Amino acid sequence: MKSLVLLPNGFKKVGWILLALSVLMWSFHLIWDWEPSWMEFKTWSILNSQFLGESSWMSFKSQNMFITVVAVIFIIGGLVVGFSKEKVEDEFITTLRLNSLMWAVLVGYLVLVFLYLTVYGLAFLNVLAYQMFAILLLFIFRFHYLLYKHNSKG
Amino acid sequence: MKNNVKIERTLKGLTQQGLAEIIGVSRQSIVAIEQGKYVPSTVLALKLARCFDKNVDDVFELEEND
Repeated sequence: MKSLVLLPNGFKKVGWILLALSVLMWSFHLIWDWEPSWMEFKTWSILNSQFLGESSWMSFKSQNMFITVVAVIFIIGGLVVGFSKEKVEDEFITTLRLNSLMWAVLVGYLVLVFLYLTVYGLAFLNVLAYQMFAILLLFIFRFHYLLYKHNSKG
Repeated sequence: MKNNVKIERTLKGLTQQGLAEIIGVSRQSIVAIEQGKYVPSTVLALKLARCFDKNVDDVFELEEND
Protein backbone atom coordinates (compact mmCIF):
# COMPACT_ATOMS: atom_id res chain seq x y z
CA MET A 1 0.00 0.00 0.00
CA LYS A 2 1.30 3.42 -0.88
CA SER A 3 1.99 5.27 2.35
CA LEU A 4 0.29 8.57 3.12
CA VAL A 5 2.06 11.92 2.99
CA LEU A 6 2.96 12.45 6.64
CA LEU A 7 5.36 14.53 8.72
CA PRO A 8 8.54 12.85 10.01
CA ASN A 9 8.23 11.05 13.37
CA GLY A 10 10.20 13.75 15.20
CA PHE A 11 7.32 16.19 14.75
CA LYS A 12 5.02 14.08 16.88
CA LYS A 13 6.67 15.19 20.11
CA VAL A 14 6.29 18.83 19.03
CA GLY A 15 2.60 18.16 18.38
CA TRP A 16 2.05 16.71 21.86
CA ILE A 17 3.82 19.71 23.43
CA LEU A 18 1.61 22.14 21.50
CA LEU A 19 -1.51 20.18 22.47
CA ALA A 20 -0.51 20.13 26.15
CA LEU A 21 0.36 23.83 26.08
CA SER A 22 -3.00 24.79 24.59
CA VAL A 23 -4.93 22.62 27.08
CA LEU A 24 -2.98 24.26 29.92
CA MET A 25 -3.70 27.77 28.60
CA TRP A 26 -7.37 26.89 28.10
CA SER A 27 -7.58 25.54 31.68
CA PHE A 28 -6.07 28.77 33.06
CA HIS A 29 -8.69 30.69 31.12
CA LEU A 30 -11.56 28.53 32.38
CA ILE A 31 -10.47 28.44 36.04
CA TRP A 32 -9.04 31.93 36.58
CA ASP A 33 -10.54 33.71 33.59
CA TRP A 34 -6.97 34.32 32.45
CA GLU A 35 -6.81 36.49 29.35
CA PRO A 36 -3.56 38.50 29.33
CA SER A 37 -4.05 42.11 28.30
CA TRP A 38 -0.86 42.11 26.20
CA MET A 39 -2.65 39.80 23.82
CA GLU A 40 -5.06 42.55 22.89
CA PHE A 41 -4.11 44.04 19.57
CA LYS A 42 -5.52 45.16 16.28
CA THR A 43 -6.21 42.31 13.94
CA TRP A 44 -7.58 41.99 10.44
CA SER A 45 -10.80 40.09 9.89
CA ILE A 46 -12.77 39.03 6.86
CA LEU A 47 -16.01 39.49 8.81
CA ASN A 48 -16.51 40.98 12.24
CA SER A 49 -20.08 41.04 13.54
CA GLN A 50 -20.81 42.42 16.99
CA PHE A 51 -23.66 41.29 19.24
CA LEU A 52 -26.58 43.63 18.43
CA GLY A 53 -24.16 45.71 16.38
CA GLU A 54 -23.13 46.20 12.83
CA SER A 55 -21.07 43.84 10.78
CA SER A 56 -17.91 44.99 9.12
CA TRP A 57 -16.15 43.29 6.25
CA MET A 58 -12.39 43.32 5.67
CA SER A 59 -11.62 45.55 8.62
CA PHE A 60 -9.10 46.02 11.41
CA LYS A 61 -10.41 45.83 14.96
CA SER A 62 -8.78 45.65 18.36
CA GLN A 63 -9.60 42.48 20.30
CA ASN A 64 -8.06 40.03 22.72
CA MET A 65 -6.53 37.22 20.69
CA PHE A 66 -5.91 34.82 23.60
CA ILE A 67 -8.70 32.32 22.85
CA THR A 68 -7.95 32.50 19.12
CA VAL A 69 -4.28 31.72 19.73
CA VAL A 70 -5.16 28.85 22.11
CA ALA A 71 -7.52 27.33 19.53
CA VAL A 72 -4.97 27.67 16.71
CA ILE A 73 -2.21 26.06 18.84
CA PHE A 74 -4.59 23.24 19.75
CA ILE A 75 -5.59 22.56 16.14
CA ILE A 76 -2.02 22.72 14.81
CA GLY A 77 -0.81 20.47 17.68
CA GLY A 78 -3.63 18.00 17.01
CA LEU A 79 -2.95 17.90 13.28
CA VAL A 80 0.78 17.39 13.85
CA VAL A 81 0.13 14.53 16.32
CA GLY A 82 -2.42 12.93 14.02
CA PHE A 83 -0.39 13.30 10.83
CA SER A 84 3.15 12.48 11.93
CA LYS A 85 4.69 9.13 11.11
CA GLU A 86 5.08 6.46 13.77
CA LYS A 87 8.62 5.18 14.40
CA VAL A 88 7.87 2.36 11.96
CA GLU A 89 5.17 3.49 9.56
CA ASP A 90 4.00 0.49 7.54
CA GLU A 91 0.88 -0.63 5.70
CA PHE A 92 -0.83 -1.90 8.86
CA ILE A 93 -0.27 1.40 10.68
CA THR A 94 -1.65 3.21 7.62
CA THR A 95 -4.74 0.99 7.77
CA LEU A 96 -5.16 1.76 11.49
CA ARG A 97 -4.76 5.48 10.76
CA LEU A 98 -7.40 5.51 8.02
CA ASN A 99 -9.80 3.32 10.02
CA SER A 100 -9.44 5.67 12.99
CA LEU A 101 -10.19 8.67 10.81
CA MET A 102 -13.33 6.98 9.46
CA TRP A 103 -14.40 5.98 12.97
CA ALA A 104 -13.85 9.55 14.23
CA VAL A 105 -15.94 11.11 11.46
CA LEU A 106 -18.78 8.64 12.00
CA VAL A 107 -18.84 8.80 15.82
CA GLY A 108 -18.21 12.57 15.85
CA TYR A 109 -21.16 13.30 13.60
CA LEU A 110 -23.50 10.80 15.29
CA VAL A 111 -22.83 12.52 18.62
CA LEU A 112 -23.31 15.89 16.91
CA VAL A 113 -26.72 14.86 15.54
CA PHE A 114 -27.71 13.75 19.04
CA LEU A 115 -26.53 17.08 20.52
CA TYR A 116 -28.30 19.10 17.81
CA LEU A 117 -31.55 17.34 18.71
CA THR A 118 -31.19 17.67 22.47
CA VAL A 119 -29.34 20.91 23.32
CA TYR A 120 -30.97 24.33 22.88
CA GLY A 121 -30.46 27.93 23.94
CA LEU A 122 -27.14 29.34 25.10
CA ALA A 123 -25.88 25.86 25.94
CA PHE A 124 -25.83 25.25 22.20
CA LEU A 125 -22.61 27.30 22.08
CA ASN A 126 -20.97 24.33 23.82
CA VAL A 127 -22.16 22.10 20.99
CA LEU A 128 -20.49 24.43 18.49
CA ALA A 129 -17.29 24.29 20.53
CA TYR A 130 -17.53 20.48 20.55
CA GLN A 131 -18.00 20.49 16.79
CA MET A 132 -14.76 22.42 16.25
CA PHE A 133 -12.47 19.93 17.96
CA ALA A 134 -14.35 16.62 18.23
CA ILE A 135 -13.28 14.91 14.99
CA LEU A 136 -9.59 15.69 15.52
CA LEU A 137 -9.67 14.59 19.17
CA LEU A 138 -11.63 11.40 18.44
CA PHE A 139 -9.20 10.55 15.62
CA ILE A 140 -6.13 10.98 17.84
CA PHE A 141 -7.75 9.04 20.69
CA ARG A 142 -8.91 6.15 18.48
CA PHE A 143 -5.63 5.84 16.57
CA HIS A 144 -3.53 5.68 19.73
CA TYR A 145 -5.96 3.31 21.39
CA LEU A 146 -5.66 0.92 18.41
CA LEU A 147 -1.85 1.24 18.42
CA TYR A 148 -1.79 0.43 22.14
CA LYS A 149 -4.25 -2.46 21.73
CA HIS A 150 -2.23 -4.11 18.98
CA ASN A 151 1.05 -3.49 20.76
CA SER A 152 0.00 -5.00 24.06
CA LYS A 153 -1.50 -8.19 22.66
CA GLY A 154 1.06 -10.68 21.67
CA MET B 1 -7.36 -16.23 5.31
CA LYS B 2 -5.42 -18.56 7.59
CA ASN B 3 -1.72 -18.29 8.15
CA ASN B 4 0.98 -20.03 10.10
CA VAL B 5 3.28 -17.06 10.59
CA LYS B 6 3.43 -17.73 14.34
CA ILE B 7 4.55 -21.35 13.81
CA GLU B 8 7.12 -20.44 11.16
CA ARG B 9 8.43 -17.59 13.31
CA THR B 10 8.80 -19.90 16.32
CA LEU B 11 10.55 -22.52 14.16
CA LYS B 12 13.01 -19.80 13.12
CA GLY B 13 13.52 -18.87 16.77
CA LEU B 14 12.43 -15.29 16.19
CA THR B 15 10.48 -12.97 18.46
CA GLN B 16 7.69 -10.80 17.04
CA GLN B 17 9.98 -7.79 17.36
CA GLY B 18 12.86 -9.66 15.69
CA LEU B 19 10.71 -10.72 12.74
CA ALA B 20 9.29 -7.20 12.44
CA GLU B 21 12.80 -5.75 12.26
CA ILE B 22 13.93 -8.24 9.59
CA ILE B 23 10.87 -7.53 7.42
CA GLY B 24 10.93 -3.79 8.14
CA VAL B 25 7.45 -3.47 9.62
CA SER B 26 6.03 -2.59 13.05
CA ARG B 27 5.59 -5.18 15.79
CA GLN B 28 1.87 -4.36 15.70
CA SER B 29 1.71 -5.68 12.13
CA ILE B 30 3.17 -9.05 13.13
CA VAL B 31 0.80 -9.28 16.12
CA ALA B 32 -2.23 -8.48 13.94
CA ILE B 33 -1.20 -10.90 11.16
CA GLU B 34 -0.57 -13.74 13.62
CA GLN B 35 -3.96 -13.15 15.22
CA GLY B 36 -5.62 -13.22 11.80
CA LYS B 37 -6.86 -9.64 12.27
CA TYR B 38 -4.94 -8.24 9.33
CA VAL B 39 -4.45 -9.66 5.86
CA PRO B 40 -1.10 -8.36 4.60
CA SER B 41 -0.48 -6.97 1.13
CA THR B 42 1.09 -9.22 -1.50
CA VAL B 43 4.44 -7.48 -0.98
CA LEU B 44 4.42 -8.13 2.76
CA ALA B 45 3.23 -11.74 2.29
CA LEU B 46 6.09 -12.36 -0.15
CA LYS B 47 8.60 -10.82 2.26
CA LEU B 48 7.35 -13.01 5.13
CA ALA B 49 7.50 -16.15 2.99
CA ARG B 50 11.01 -15.30 1.83
CA CYS B 51 12.12 -14.78 5.42
CA PHE B 52 10.87 -18.29 6.27
CA ASP B 53 12.39 -19.78 3.06
CA LYS B 54 8.90 -20.88 2.02
CA ASN B 55 6.42 -20.20 -0.76
CA VAL B 56 3.55 -17.82 0.02
CA ASP B 57 1.15 -20.79 -0.32
CA ASP B 58 2.96 -22.58 2.50
CA VAL B 59 2.50 -19.64 4.87
CA PHE B 60 -0.90 -18.28 3.83
CA GLU B 61 -3.97 -20.32 2.99
CA LEU B 62 -7.37 -19.26 1.64
CA GLU B 63 -10.43 -20.20 3.67
CA GLU B 64 -13.82 -21.22 2.28
CA ASN B 65 -15.41 -17.81 2.82
CA ASP B 66 -12.53 -15.87 1.18
